[in-house]
This record gives sequence, structure tokens and C-alpha cells, in this order.
Amino acid sequence: METNNQQQQQQGAQAQSGPYPVAGAGGSAGAGAGAPPPFQHLLQQQQQQLQMFWSYQRQEIEHVNDFKNHQLPLARIKKIMKADEDVRMISAEAPILFAKACELFILELTIRSWLHAEENKRRTLQKNDIAAAITRTDIFDFLVDIVPRDEIKDDAALVGATASGVPYYYPPIGQPAGMMIGRPAVDPATGVYVQPPSQAWQSVWQSAAEDASYGTGGAGAQRSLDGQS
Amino acid sequence: METGGFHGYRKLPNTTAGLKLSVSDMNMRQQVASSDHSAATGEENECTVREQDRFMPIANVIRIMRKILPPHAKISDDAKETIQECVSEYISFITGEANERCQREQRKTITAEDVLWAMSKLGFDDYIEPLTMYLHRYRELEGDRTSMRGEPLGKRTVEYATLGVATAFVPPPYHHHNGYFGAAMPMGTYVREAPPNTASSHHHHHHHHHHARGISNAHEPNARSI
Repeated sequence: METNNQQQQQQGAQAQSGPYPVAGAGGSAGAGAGAPPPFQHLLQQQQQQLQMFWSYQRQEIEHVNDFKNHQLPLARIKKIMKADEDVRMISAEAPILFAKACELFILELTIRSWLHAEENKRRTLQKNDIAAAITRTDIFDFLVDIVPRDEIKDDAALVGATASGVPYYYPPIGQPAGMMIGRPAVDPATGVYVQPPSQAWQSVWQSAAEDASYGTGGAGAQRSLDGQS
Repeated sequence: METGGFHGYRKLPNTTAGLKLSVSDMNMRQQVASSDHSAATGEENECTVREQDRFMPIANVIRIMRKILPPHAKISDDAKETIQECVSEYISFITGEANERCQREQRKTITAEDVLWAMSKLGFDDYIEPLTMYLHRYRELEGDRTSMRGEPLGKRTVEYATLGVATAFVPPPYHHHNGYFGAAMPMGTYVREAPPNTASSHHHHHHHHHHARGISNAHEPNARSI
């Protein structure tokens, strides 16, 4: 029953918005700004997208075979690490690992920021979207100094709305990710996403609404959720 | 105009700087394509502009952002610059924790394992599995580096020389820790008075521990041994 409900919600959102379920959810949230149910629906959508993001990253890394062309320059990473005078020596592997870690960090921060932009029905990612993502995510607490106070104040109202509706905190996202770890990778998905080009995530994201195999993966995730409850 | 005294401290790259970064980025990409060592050497020659050394090249950052955004999405300039700052802060945040562990264990070299440990301690649990896989893949496919490790003396000599040169280009006045320590003071009164390095470092680490404990309790983290 829960599975059916979730699937119906997801399909409904997809039907409304086409390739971008969140856009539909955003509209829904806008319509019922004060109503808890629509907001809860929006949060579920966002959590699902973050789960898909991490699942996709794991699949992509399983097939990486090019360590020469990093997305970020290793020498620059070293210099930033060495900006701390206490840092003495750095093994060759550390900047290589950081190059990938920073890529994941940029992707996570960007997607969380974009979710906020969509909530406000905008198509331009702004600084206050990043401020909102930082405010809402515990592990990003160390970044609060980077966004001005007034940006955070703007989001404070939204945070209040969140509190009145549904509490938004990191653990619910972390636990599903934990469950995902136990699941074997979907072979069709694995084959399809070998070393995707730079627009791969977007194409995957768009095809998620249509691709049966990806839908199967989603269903699997939902089954895991049911199994837990 | 952006408000807040904090930004007066951090000079953000302007449009011209962005253009320079783009040019520099093109050069670096060519060098990176040849070899890591060449890339390092090349970039050292270019490091006459200290400003850009504090951030990742904005073109690289934007390219990564676009991988996750829908095609019609636009990114404002201040958002691009904010992400740049966040990445540098992230590197310094993790590095600080990893280095603290090294010092505690009386080791001089920060390893990939130290970086993974620091991420886990600071709550980045989702990152551990993909990065562990990435590291294992790297060691499988780049076996030559593993063999190089068999010659620690030569390796360290090269590493130390490179890092020694790199240090010369890092502007001494810039301390992430000071920036972080500044947060403790009211925003309106934030000024760079060069607080004692020990004091700021201590405060920084203290907050780290507090933050880590909070995260640990909330997350019920997986096994931490890596």
C-alpha cells in the first residue's frame, strides 16, 4: 500500500511536470504554502532525488578508469591544503581523493541549492539558494560564514515554515542511503551508465521518468523502505 | 551590493579575474593531460596571481555544477563565486581534521586514509563508500604508483621538494582558521587583528570536536575503521 502510494505520488508529480518532478512538487508546495501535507510531499521528493544522486555516484565510480584527467587540478588542491601552516607533507593519493571528493561536494551542494530555487519557481541558481542549502544541511554547518547574515535571515522564515510543517534534518536521508548500500547494483543500469559524458546525469535524470529499468531501481528502493518498516 | 563585513575580508574574484581563470584553466587542462608532475610544474610557473590560488578554477566548478543541473538552469555570478569559496573551505575543513589526526599519531604525511577518516568524523558519511571505491579503483589501475611507493626515499624527496616550492606561493596572511575563528565574533566587529595562531587553532579544533560529536549522535554512523 505504501509502495503504491509512493509510486502514485511520484508518477503524479512526473505527469504534472514532465521531465522534472520537483517542478510539479514546487508548484504544489507553492499552492499550499501553509499546509503540512504538500510540504511533506515535497520533502519526500527531495529525499528521493538525493538518494538517486548517491546511488548514481556509486555506479559511476565503479567504472571509472581515467585518473589522469581530473575535474579539478591537483596542484591547486595541494596549495589549498598547504594554506594551513600546520600541514607538513601530503601523500600523492590525498589530492587525487580530494579531487573526487570535491566533485561530489559541488554536486551535492548544487543539487540541494537547486531544489531551493525550484521551490521558489526560479530557473536561476542564486546565492540565497546556496545559503538555504547550507542552513538545511547539518554537514554544511562549517560553511555558514561564507553566506551573509541577511541571506540566512531570508531562509530563517522558510526554516520556520519547515519546522511548523515537517522537521527537516539529515538522518532520514542518511538511513535510506545506508539501506542502499546493502543492495546490489542494477546490472542494466550499470551497463548503461559506463563512463557517461558530462551531461550524463541530466540525461539519466530526464530518462528516469521514462526508463523502465531506472524505474525498476526506484521500485527496488521503495521495497527496501517497506522492508525496513 | 552584497552586505556584510565578512565579505570585505575575502576578496572575491571579479569578472576580469574570472577571465584570467578561464585562460589559466585552459593551460592547466593541457598540462594535466600530459602528467600530474608537469601540471604542478606548469602551474608553479603561473603562480604570480595569488588570488586565484585560493579557489578552484571557476570554469571547472561550473562544469561540475552543470552536470547535476537541468539544461535550462542558469547560475548567477555570485552563486558561482560562493561555490568556489565553499570548495576551498571544504578542503581546508577536512584537511585540518586529517592533519590533527596525523599529529596525534606523530606522523608527518597526510594520507588518503586520513582524509577518509576526517570525512567520516565530520559527518560526510555518504561520501565514504564512493570515495573508498574510487581509491581502490585508483590503486588497481595505477599500479605504477603503488610500485613507486616501494621507494619511499625518492618519492618523499620529490614530494617534499614540490610541496616546498608550492608553499612559497601560498600567501601567509590567509588563514582559513582565522576566518572560521572570526565567526565567533559579532559580524559587525569582525576585523583581522592577527589573533595568536595557537589560540585560533585551538578554538577551531574545539569547535570541530563539538560539531563532530553532534553529528555522530544524530547519524549513528557506520563503522569508522577504514
